Amino acid sequence: MTDAALARGPVVERRRGEGWTAAALITPASIFVAFCLLAPIAILFRFSLNEFVPSKKLMVEALTVANYVKFFTDPYYTTILATTVRIAVLVTAVCLVLGFPLAYVVARTQSRFKHLLIISIVLPLFVGNAVRAAGWMTVFGNKGFFNATLMGLGVIDQPLEIMFTEKAVVIGIIAVNLPFMVLSLQSVIEGIDRSVEEAAFSLGAPPATMFRRVLWPLALPGVLAGTILTFVLAMNAYATPFLLGGPLFKMMAPLVYNQFTQQSNWPFGGAIAFILMTVTLGLTLMANVIIQRRAAR
Amino acid sequence: MARLDLEKLSKRYGDFFAVRDVSLQIADGEFLVLLGPSGCGKTTTLRMVAGFIEPSDGAVRLGGSDVTVLPPWKRNAGMVFQSYALFPHLSVAQNVAFGLEMRKLPRADIERRVEEALALVRLTGFGGRLPRQLSGGQQQRVALARALAIRPDVLLLDEPLSNLDAKLRQEVRVEIRELQRQLGLTTVMVTHDQEEALTMADRLVVMNEGAVRQVGSQRDLYERPADRFVAGFVGRSTFLDGAVEAPGRFRTDGGLALACAGGMPGRAALALRPERVEIAPSANTNMSGLDNSLPGTVEFVSYLGALIDIHVRLSPQDRLVVQIANRDGGFAPDVGQPVQVGWPAAAGLVFNE
Repeated sequence: MTDAALARGPVVERRRGEGWTAAALITPASIFVAFCLLAPIAILFRFSLNEFVPSKKLMVEALTVANYVKFFTDPYYTTILATTVRIAVLVTAVCLVLGFPLAYVVARTQSRFKHLLIISIVLPLFVGNAVRAAGWMTVFGNKGFFNATLMGLGVIDQPLEIMFTEKAVVIGIIAVNLPFMVLSLQSVIEGIDRSVEEAAFSLGAPPATMFRRVLWPLALPGVLAGTILTFVLAMNAYATPFLLGGPLFKMMAPLVYNQFTQQSNWPFGGAIAFILMTVTLGLTLMANVIIQRRAAR
Repeated sequence: MARLDLEKLSKRYGDFFAVRDVSLQIADGEFLVLLGPSGCGKTTTLRMVAGFIEPSDGAVRLGGSDVTVLPPWKRNAGMVFQSYALFPHLSVAQNVAFGLEMRKLPRADIERRVEEALALVRLTGFGGRLPRQLSGGQQQRVALARALAIRPDVLLLDEPLSNLDAKLRQEVRVEIRELQRQLGLTTVMVTHDQEEALTMADRLVVMNEGAVRQVGSQRDLYERPADRFVAGFVGRSTFLDGAVEAPGRFRTDGGLALACAGGMPGRAALALRPERVEIAPSANTNMSGLDNSLPGTVEFVSYLGALIDIHVRLSPQDRLVVQIANRDGGFAPDVGQPVQVGWPAAAGLVFNE
């Protein structure tokens, strides 16, 4: 074989009828997504263009961007959006920093107990968000486990204000999201040949340089998958900010819920939901492009 | 390039010795091959030289300075891995440049040395490709160029040819060997393939169960194996189990009385190289020049092309492999055919138990 032929790689042979088999395989999932995801979103979007008239029948058919204008002109709402983005970015960054070493160890361990390690990482996901948040409440409360221990040991005199603050929410969401980050990274790191790291070492790269030049670029697909998952989950967190943040702390998902159920304001709720979705998608795509462009250099 | 000394190198995992008391002196420019079955400790030894494994005991000296506890990135050892371990996200030129960038050479020097290294492995013009766009043999050569570009004190090869197909392997063997001679590289290679070891090495080290069994030239190992393991591992031997009755007299468990050279009285094995045994059809039994001449029956024949292996049953307990050249008008054995085999006493090596 010539070099040129090798460079083109293996030739993919296609048999007749393969296209139909593939179509048959993806049809059920496609139908499900179309009816259960795209259709509701479309309807929601239509709702968000309606008018809300509390004195009449709540939702009045219309074609107006008033709900979107209301959101972006009222600092109350834009602050909530800013808080949500800030917390999601912070949570994602912390998950990446905490998750990478953990994922690396899990991916590289030769231990017989590797499967136990993986289960222990996934274990938190067995507990629902609401149940877990309730658990955090007992830990973070002024007389909770955390403060009681520190005060008992004489480390502090006054209880630390954690419960019903941003701190509690951030810690809570990190705890929920970390497994997603670790699993995304671990599966990719596992596919990186260990000897590639050793090759870098033998060529004179100290560990930090090896990480920057070899491990990080090769782990990038996992980093992207992990940050996207974590970021999207954090942007849309509901139970954790609701239960740990208390009545004064606001994030987007509880706000949407509140508009639908408490205020019965479907048009405005729909608009907020749509803004949340768009911002999440936009920021995710932007981060994606930036990271990939950087890696290409 | 530099000389490499291993002094009583050991690696222990709990009670298990992966490598035990390995001492070797590798001269400047020498090509040393560590040969042994998998799990014999050869790779562990190489990885201790590279710095990936910290020895439990002993020392590694490279060019006279002790590098035993030095991390791999401070050792200046060029390594070629079994899987090549090319950086898949970097081009061929970037792969080769990696070690030079770590040494903070000026850009122009790096470019020149990358070109040199690629020319050395006949890959000029391939610098812009990604590793996955190359064939296995080309990837192997990039790995070699990358290791050579840093001008290492010692070149370490970890089963570098095992992922190549048989035909290519023979070519690359010669290529690596010529390059090594031309550049005067102190080289340590690990392999389980004895043919590879025999064709490439200046000197061979046979290892088993973590220990060195014999060090020597190809001829030393083949003609004068130190023990039964080496006799069986380097080249091929048929072992006849039995006992030495008196110096020069060996009796197999099957009851055959054989003449042998030396040996202490007691349980022993008699090792015979298949090609040192003569064979003839039974009718023609003139083997008068040989110390041993025995009748037997052909039990199995394997045709290897240039050579033919004939398994001959001598007694219910004793079976011998005889290898003959496949020549025109030569002996063509049939299974079940009665034959006569013979060999001089000196051809049989006695290993006491």
